[in-house]
Amino acid sequence: MWLPLLGLILGIALGVLTDIEIPSVYENYLSIAVLAALDTMFGGIRAQLQQVYDDKVFITGFFFNIALAAGLAFLGVHIGVDLYLAAIFAFGVRLFQNIAVIRRILITRWEEYRIKKRKNSSESR
Amino acid sequence: MTKKTTIHITVISFIIGFMLAVQYNTVQSPKKVETTDIWEIRQDLSDEKIRHSELLTQIRQAQETIRQYEDEELDNPEAILARTVDQLQASAGIKEISGPGLVMNIAPSQELMEFGYQVEEISPQLLIRLVNEIYRYKGHYLEIGGQRLVHSSAIRDINGKTTVNGTPIGKVDVEIKVVTDTEEEASKLYNYLLASSFMDEFFIDNMLLTVEAPQPSITVDATDLEIRSTYLTEYKGD
Repeated sequence: MWLPLLGLILGIALGVLTDIEIPSVYENYLSIAVLAALDTMFGGIRAQLQQVYDDKVFITGFFFNIALAAGLAFLGVHIGVDLYLAAIFAFGVRLFQNIAVIRRILITRWEEYRIKKRKNSSESR
Repeated sequence: MTKKTTIHITVISFIIGFMLAVQYNTVQSPKKVETTDIWEIRQDLSDEKIRHSELLTQIRQAQETIRQYEDEELDNPEAILARTVDQLQASAGIKEISGPGLVMNIAPSQELMEFGYQVEEISPQLLIRLVNEIYRYKGHYLEIGGQRLVHSSAIRDINGKTTVNGTPIGKVDVEIKVVTDTEEEASKLYNYLLASSFMDEFFIDNMLLTVEAPQPSITVDATDLEIRSTYLTEYKGD
């Protein structure tokens, strides 16, 4: 569990230390890509908790979502419709849903753990 | 979780972290870099200095008037009031003004006419720019084609004709009279106009701008425009 966290921290450190900036024209694309990435990440965590995690789905979802979001934004710029709003909306809603599901699963697990612990302590008495 | 899965997730979290950091960098970095150099700052400073000295002059004039009021209050209040009214009328443009100044002429360029170019209307934009520059060089009293410019004057295109105060000024031989406060200002304005690009710009429109040498006395007519005041009302004394 600590390895992905280490990866995240390494990535942030590398990005901050190298001081890379992208042209402001592409800022929209990157922000949407970040959103898509976060969505995939939380989706992955949820799937893991629900024991339906699939490596292929996770990795293809990551790259496909990013590409789709950036592509939508690109198309939107060229046809004059703010399509990136659609991507932000979709990913935003899914992000919240995923986080809510993760929270519920964690709460249920914690309660199960507490009940089990109580049972154990009453049995040992 | 197998080892492979962990590595995949780690790589993807690395990418996400990197993207987040790049996005953060991009949002945080200032959009505009200060590029004014010392010369531009000096230029701005000198503009402000000029403005400062103009304001000081105005303050001195106002104080002078106050002093005169105080001095002459007992002897002759009407005379000083009449003088103030005169000054106000002069700056509002409802009084004829004489003083040092210069005369300019806009006429179609003869050699271009001989080549068969059309005589076109004087461009209002160009005229407005010329007027603004003249004002900047303290040519406070202006007359274009017999029309005195006052604070509410408009130079614009009405149905294809260039008008000043709503009166068409014609295409040929438009005379511009400028009156300044001192002869020195008149010669400064003259030199500026000779050095400026206005002649070239009028020539682009097939016009020839001639600036005559400053003269000690030029008269600018009063405006025949009715000056409406919407917000000021006459004060009925006690």
